[in-house]
Amino acid sequence: MLLTFIAAVLAGPPAPKYPADAIAPALRENAHAVVRAYDEVVTVKSPSQLVKSIHKVITILDPVGSDAYGEQVVSYDALNRINYLRGAVYDAQGRLLHQLRPAEVHDRGLGSAGGSFMTDLRVRYADLRQPTTPYTVEFDYEIASENTLFYPHWQPQNAENVSLEGATLQVTTPTALPLRFEEQLLPSGAASAPVVAGSQTTYRWHLPAQPAVEEEPLSPSIDELLPAVHLAPATFEVQGYAGSLASWQSLGLWTYQLGKGRDVLPPALTAKMAQLMISDPDPRARARKVYEFVQSSTRYVSVQLGLGGWQTAPATAVATGGYGDCKALSNYTCALLKAAGLPAYVALVGAGADETDVRASFPSSQFNHAILCMPLAARGTTPADTVWLECTSQTEAFGYMGTFTGNRHALLLTPEGGRLVATPRYGAQANRQQRRTDLWLDATGSAKATVRTQRVGLAQDRYAQLLHEADAEEQKKYVSNRLRLGHFTITNLRLAAAPVTKPQALPGVVELLGLELPGVATPAGSRLLLEPNVLGRLAALPAQVGPRQTPLALPLASLSQDTVRLHLPVGFKAENLPQPVQLTSAYGTYTSTCTTLPDGTLQYVRQFETRRPAGTTLPAAKYAEYQDFRRKISQADHAQVVLVKTEA
Amino acid sequence: MLRTIFKQPWRAVRLAVLALALPSAAAAQTTASAKAALPIKFGQPDLGDFEAKNFVADSGAAAVILCDYGSSQFSSSAGHLVITTERTTRIKILKKAGYDYATVEVPLYHRDERAEKLGNLRGFTYLRGADGNVTKTKLEASNIFDEKRTNNLLVRKFTLPNVQEGAVIEYSYVVTSTFFDNYQDWTFQHAIPTRWSEYRTSIPQVYHYKILYRGYLPLAINEGSVGSVSLLLANRLSAGAGAGAGMEVGTSGVHMSTEQHRWVVRNAPAFREEPYSTTPNDYLARMTFELAGIQMPEEEYRDLTDSWAKKNKLLLESEEFGKAFTNSKFLAAEVQPLIAQHLEPAPRAAAVRNLVVKAVKYDGTDRYWATGPLKRSYEQHRGTAADVNLLLIAALREAGLTVEPVLLSTRSHGAVSQDYPLLEQFNYVVALVTLPDNKELLLDATEPLLPAGILPTRCLSQAGRTVPTTGEGRWVSLVPAQRYSHYQEATLAVDAQGNLSGQVHEEHGGYAGLEVREKLQQLGEKKYVTELIARHPGWEVAKYAFAKQSTVEQSLGLSYEWRQPATTSAAATELYLTPLNYFGERRNPFQHEDRSYPVDLGMLQQDIVRVTLTLPPGYVAELPKAVSLVLPNNGGRYLYSATSTTPGTVQFVSRLTLDKPVYSAAEYGALRELYRLLLAKQAEALVIKKAG
Repeated sequence: MLLTFIAAVLAGPPAPKYPADAIAPALRENAHAVVRAYDEVVTVKSPSQLVKSIHKVITILDPVGSDAYGEQVVSYDALNRINYLRGAVYDAQGRLLHQLRPAEVHDRGLGSAGGSFMTDLRVRYADLRQPTTPYTVEFDYEIASENTLFYPHWQPQNAENVSLEGATLQVTTPTALPLRFEEQLLPSGAASAPVVAGSQTTYRWHLPAQPAVEEEPLSPSIDELLPAVHLAPATFEVQGYAGSLASWQSLGLWTYQLGKGRDVLPPALTAKMAQLMISDPDPRARARKVYEFVQSSTRYVSVQLGLGGWQTAPATAVATGGYGDCKALSNYTCALLKAAGLPAYVALVGAGADETDVRASFPSSQFNHAILCMPLAARGTTPADTVWLECTSQTEAFGYMGTFTGNRHALLLTPEGGRLVATPRYGAQANRQQRRTDLWLDATGSAKATVRTQRVGLAQDRYAQLLHEADAEEQKKYVSNRLRLGHFTITNLRLAAAPVTKPQALPGVVELLGLELPGVATPAGSRLLLEPNVLGRLAALPAQVGPRQTPLALPLASLSQDTVRLHLPVGFKAENLPQPVQLTSAYGTYTSTCTTLPDGTLQYVRQFETRRPAGTTLPAAKYAEYQDFRRKISQADHAQVVLVKTEA
Repeated sequence: MLRTIFKQPWRAVRLAVLALALPSAAAAQTTASAKAALPIKFGQPDLGDFEAKNFVADSGAAAVILCDYGSSQFSSSAGHLVITTERTTRIKILKKAGYDYATVEVPLYHRDERAEKLGNLRGFTYLRGADGNVTKTKLEASNIFDEKRTNNLLVRKFTLPNVQEGAVIEYSYVVTSTFFDNYQDWTFQHAIPTRWSEYRTSIPQVYHYKILYRGYLPLAINEGSVGSVSLLLANRLSAGAGAGAGMEVGTSGVHMSTEQHRWVVRNAPAFREEPYSTTPNDYLARMTFELAGIQMPEEEYRDLTDSWAKKNKLLLESEEFGKAFTNSKFLAAEVQPLIAQHLEPAPRAAAVRNLVVKAVKYDGTDRYWATGPLKRSYEQHRGTAADVNLLLIAALREAGLTVEPVLLSTRSHGAVSQDYPLLEQFNYVVALVTLPDNKELLLDATEPLLPAGILPTRCLSQAGRTVPTTGEGRWVSLVPAQRYSHYQEATLAVDAQGNLSGQVHEEHGGYAGLEVREKLQQLGEKKYVTELIARHPGWEVAKYAFAKQSTVEQSLGLSYEWRQPATTSAAATELYLTPLNYFGERRNPFQHEDRSYPVDLGMLQQDIVRVTLTLPPGYVAELPKAVSLVLPNNGGRYLYSATSTTPGTVQFVSRLTLDKPVYSAAEYGALRELYRLLLAKQAEALVIKKAG
């Protein structure tokens, strides 16, 4: 009787979970939310099967945190199944408010949102956002994966303005299928020694409390700055294709073999390519012909279904349909080049302007794109060279690797296996912008201007896209939105590809711009004040709050040159010209001069060459120095010319 | 008579009710339209479409729709009535940027046992080779995919093969539907130029639709006629047939007369979205249909839209609308104390709204039907706009206030026609509280950062419709009384070297308060101020203080002090200062020279800057000229003055007011010019000289 009574008391209202006032003050600092727990359990069932379960609890402190963490989205596809998605929400005291019901879990396809024409990727999501903060959400979900090429990646704190109370990771794998892992910025003592029990080995990590961090301008991406454990298999099997990730060589070999036999071309096409060997003996010229053929007769359409996410479509499919995804178009182009007597390799790469380079020390599938790499042997006086080709673009210049794929590592897929090699990196002289502006000023301070800007290399990437992919109205809109002027009217705009001067020249775009600039100069009594650097001002650095915490990651070196000819209104002369400026630092050199030409025209010349000191990042302590350099440039960019009415 | 109202100049017509043909009246007008030749023959491209000279005028376009032809009619399928819509589209690909037009998505809706079905999908790509011969490549089944986008939506996707510059692509399909309340709309205008867009409809007298034409393009052809259709429909046993009622017993042919239309828009230019607009649907040329009534043979006419009174009755009797908010007992315990606490209706309404804001989180979905019982949303603390605001209405009623729902269409959902009681054009509901002095208060509980009586910006779409307990209801204006209001007052001092220092106080009222409060929530005070300072190189801000950050009923205040050291240490004989530049607009918000469609700001605006500048002792200033500019049609004004009432100080006042929520495209030039002059005055330098 008594026992029953005790049991009833014990089973009474459930104990509060994760009350908000239990959060340490240091974890509330700069935080919209606090991760109270993030426990991930990975169980490797076999070389081809893996189960991952996540238990996460997040206390949301304000409405911004609510929108970022009050909902849970879990994605899945043909090879990844969601076993369950459960959730609950608790009030500030930790009392259960609501348990997620299955009817509240929604499911939808991603449509073309992911850039794919057709994909089997879908999401399930649930919304537990509450009208008042703080509150706590708890989500549990499990995914069964048949794509063991990818093991999970554990980073419990992976955004700014969220702190972490604690997190664990546990991986259990058959001892015969050893786990490979790489730790990133883990505090000491985070890893436990693996435990062997029977045929299984279990690995464990835990992360103690971590305060919230804030993103800073020009810093590496936040996921590079926070603790993580990267996991990968030693051996794996996807849809019957077994492979090893022991080395880049073995990953490359697996991928190469996945595409084996898929490079057969229709005979007519093979013959057409063979013909090129006779008509174009020069390998580079011939490769260019093949590339132009691909660009004019195919287009990029992405279909990612099941294993098709990793395995190329046959070359014949591209030949008949005229389209394919990055793998298919690269494979097809590779086959064409081979038929034209030009051996080339498909290469995997992590594409994207903000993509961080591969972790070279940790062979694993870190790529999202395929390109081509074609070695050219030395020939006569022409030295050996390597040509890289982007096969998904119908407009990209032959051999050019811009902000999307350049300056990083790619995995070459050769019959002998994979090899990690660097894609092209262009220096300051290659990434340049040269601008000539003529400004005809009138006595009221208004002006008409003509501007010719030539951009080359990385400086032209966006403009090349604008030139090829936008119509005249869209081009004008783009240029308008980027002119840092109070009021203006574009009277003329023309974009054109820069003339090619030599075979290996980098692509360029020339922009011709006509402007009307009312009020470009400030009238002050009998004077006109004008900042001659009308278009070339460097934008100020974004605001930096408090002392710099994170390393400084500078963009690639570049060069910009501006010449402004200022044609004075009749009856005006220069009263005061800005002093020449010369600034030199580890981050670049800046010069500007303003002189009067013999005919009375003023000429302002500015040159700014940025430098990226060795290594990819600089210590946080260097930021003040960099900031000072930028501040001086901003000041110099606002140098003023004073014009005065001459006595009539 | 078939009514058309294209008498006004087209630019002025925003929304036109095109045709409401009564069968008997339509019979009077019979034209040859029913026999008009088809504008396109599938599989037979025009050789002229391969000649570059025919596309010289389209040099800016990535592709051109040569012909987009649709025809929608009722027919019978296996004894059942269906709507069959055939579509044939032919597109010329001019540039690589136009390749995307070779990929097509057709959304197919399904609900319960009913589904839209796509059939007879055919497609070809035509290319003219160097030899002048046109080759064609067929769309293969392997290039056709289905994506189950949501539980009610299947998307059929296909991409045409062998697409190259200069290619002509063509596809055709038929969609059958039994969603009679959703007759296929037609859009005549697209993001690329459209040479010929034609839509034909044939509707038997059984169904009556209200047809609306929207947009800014004239119809080149607008014909109506009477035709006929033979349908093979299943015979059902009548309700009196006992156990067999509703059973199908064979089919019989039915001959019905039809109302037919043919509409053509020629040479539609590419549609471009402009800033300060609502949804593209408000500007695109398109035809929409709403089921108005059903006239089954030998049955009484079922009028579905005859009056607002009937629509209101339908809404009020619905479990998901009227019945939902009349059941408010579960709110009594929370609401009762508020009644005792607030005797005046306005504060009581605000307190009740506050209760709902704190109780339920808006999930971002806009609709006016509740998703379920309001009690459930209340307990889950989460819901759609309808769940939140119907709950608000329930709570206001429980608090003894006089309240009516107001239906509206959000800005992203599009403008409403006030001519007919069409419920489908709404997607949102708010509450209208009548106060004793006949004043009214529009309330919404989805946005915690706004005070009671100010609707969220998404609701600022001119007019909403009340749903009273009895009667027709009326249109109420949604133009907010509160402006977007920014006020700055600065006291500055400059010394002979040019060192500047100042104290600034600013107030963000109405929608400006919302904007800053949102930003503060995101960034926090410190980062907000750092960003403010970063816009002024050379500024040093010693201290700052925000006020009324969480008192949303009042303007948000910010006070700060700054100094800006001079670049030289010597005393200057002349100083040039542009103090308003620190506080005013930096860029003309209307950058583009031209405008095709109205500027829809939704709200009125006000921006005031007052600066008092103290000059260095012994210096005088040449004062810039005052200006006063007025926009046409009482659209607003800009005032600027620089005065010196006491020696040694100069007072600047800059006051911009925009007094209309919407400006026509014709007024755009004046608006842009107003900002140009504002920027010019703001940039004008004050010349400060040593008095001599």
